[in-house]
Amino acid sequence: MSEPLLEIEDLRVRFRSDEGVVSPVNGVSFQVHEGETVAVVGESGSGKSMTSLSILGLVPAPGEVYDGSIRLQGEDLTKMKRSQMRKLRGNEISMIFQEPMTSLNPVFTIGNQMIEVIRLHQKLDKTESIQQAVTMLDLVGIPEPERVLKQFPHQLSGGMRQRVMIAMALSCNPKLLIADEPTTALDVTIQAQILNLMKELKDELNTGVILITHDLGVVAEVADRVVVMYGGEVVEEATVDEIFNHPVHPYTKGLLASVPKMTGPVEELGAIKGSVPTPSEMPTGCKFHPRCPIATDLCKQVHPQLEETTPQHFKRCFHTEGGVKHDEHERSTIS
Amino acid sequence: MTNTSEAPSADVLMEVKGLKKHFQVKKGYFKKEISNVKAVDGVDVTIYEGETLGIVGESGCGKSTTGEMLLGLMKPTEGSVTFMGKDLTAMNKKELREMRKDIQVIFQDPFASLNPRMTVEELIGEPLKIHTSKTKKEIRNEVVELLEVVGLNQEQLKRYPHEFSGGQRQRIGIARALALKPKLIICDEPVSALDVSIQAQILNLLKKLQREFNLTLVFIAHGLPAVRNISDRIAVMYLGKIVEITDRDQLFAGALHPYTEALLKSIPVDHPSLRSNYQPLEGDLPNPANPPSGCAFHTRCPFAQEICREKAPSLEEHRENHHAACHYPLYK
Repeated sequence: MSEPLLEIEDLRVRFRSDEGVVSPVNGVSFQVHEGETVAVVGESGSGKSMTSLSILGLVPAPGEVYDGSIRLQGEDLTKMKRSQMRKLRGNEISMIFQEPMTSLNPVFTIGNQMIEVIRLHQKLDKTESIQQAVTMLDLVGIPEPERVLKQFPHQLSGGMRQRVMIAMALSCNPKLLIADEPTTALDVTIQAQILNLMKELKDELNTGVILITHDLGVVAEVADRVVVMYGGEVVEEATVDEIFNHPVHPYTKGLLASVPKMTGPVEELGAIKGSVPTPSEMPTGCKFHPRCPIATDLCKQVHPQLEETTPQHFKRCFHTEGGVKHDEHERSTIS
Repeated sequence: MTNTSEAPSADVLMEVKGLKKHFQVKKGYFKKEISNVKAVDGVDVTIYEGETLGIVGESGCGKSTTGEMLLGLMKPTEGSVTFMGKDLTAMNKKELREMRKDIQVIFQDPFASLNPRMTVEELIGEPLKIHTSKTKKEIRNEVVELLEVVGLNQEQLKRYPHEFSGGQRQRIGIARALALKPKLIICDEPVSALDVSIQAQILNLLKKLQREFNLTLVFIAHGLPAVRNISDRIAVMYLGKIVEITDRDQLFAGALHPYTEALLKSIPVDHPSLRSNYQPLEGDLPNPANPPSGCAFHTRCPFAQEICREKAPSLEEHRENHHAACHYPLYK
């Protein structure tokens, strides 16, 4: 495979407070290639949103990235100055947020906001940037783009606003697009429109996409590769087919079993017991062990490493297919 | 093992007829009425004892407003809700209060629906305190029992809502709804705000409780997969009306209304191998304050004809126990 577009290595984020230090992201590594959609899946508190904020250099204070690297085409973003990051954001890396209502400024027209982004990052004059804005709105399937440019966010529906967000995010032709739950706030028929649009745009523009979501249906619909996160770490990573056909980690299996299906017989859902621990009460050893159906004493004491089981399929678990195979090896590498 | 279709001969628990709720929008100094939002515009449905009726639809379709009227929390503009032979809409406050023992509700947001200043014991015990003459000790014993039923334990009696996770709070909400041993529980988006793994726990719990206590559930949600998992029958709403209603399996095997079919196809697939090139419905949901003429769906319907623009179709039985409101239902 070619050079990855984005390479995250051993990323660690911590928040210091009077009560101590918590680390919502704890050694996360994955890559995104050009034209590839990588889904980062996890429940609330898994660290998936914090990971994406780290890529943009937007971890809120008092949080900080204290270890690891994020390389965009070889350049380490964690070492960049603020001014450099500002040039990058909205230009080479863009983000679509979950709530299109709150992420657009209500007192400026769509045109104002779109043209601001374009003029900030590209050497275009006013007429050219209006032209560019119209082209982008047209690309995301907004009828009468010239009229929409003069409108305010509240005059548009949720689906339209999300289209505007996508148009804005793509207006400087970014290499990497981070979409944080882009369809969660939308109705199903509108969600289908937006997912379709994202698929088309990816093919057309060859953008690398990080799709952050908790909805496995959305993952099945658009992702190429899947990174499953739990408790601030990657617990499994593989191609989308592998994840759905041969999930290895008990958490991934549990997630898949807990999703009600649209096809096949209706069965009791395979729920995972308990709930996600908060970063301050993370258990020792494997972070999933209190909820894991196959946890052993080993899992309570030793923290498993991410390892490759089959080519391009990584998991963080001592037990593959129920057997304890690697414990001796693991133990020596950890201690 | 699943009880797919509830026999139609089962006892009727609730009968809803011609239910309408119109909200007037007034503006200006003289409060001139400028428009009429038809949130619910003629809903007829029968709820049988022991079944789970799912109501699905997108935002603004009137599903939650319908739920509130079934609870007697909102007076309908027109129509009747007959529960165990009595018309809710004609009841006075005292009668309504009495009736609420039998109809309870579970809300969507477990963070907003529990009073943060009350302990779990007070929260779950409150309905018992209001509606029964039980002593403090008896109430406590019942609360402990209820906690165990919903998968919590006695040690949590003295805790406050903020000490619980979202899933646990929803369990408290369920225990509260169960306290008076109601016949009917209206669940308004009970799992939408929860994480995937917690959703499954709550859905399983609701099913278990339904079997144990012989409950009738109305499950209102926008997420079709969850509705499919729990419902015996499903009603699909669009812009204040039921456009299709039938048994769960029948709905998924052969939807009659083009909107239902579009809705089913819009749901993200279960598995990446099922990806298709389905072209989703175009356009947005129309504004309920200004609904289209004729069939409300005609503006987005791929099969719309002249008559659809002019005349609203009525809900008719096209197959046995399968009703749809469409001039050109999809027969396969």
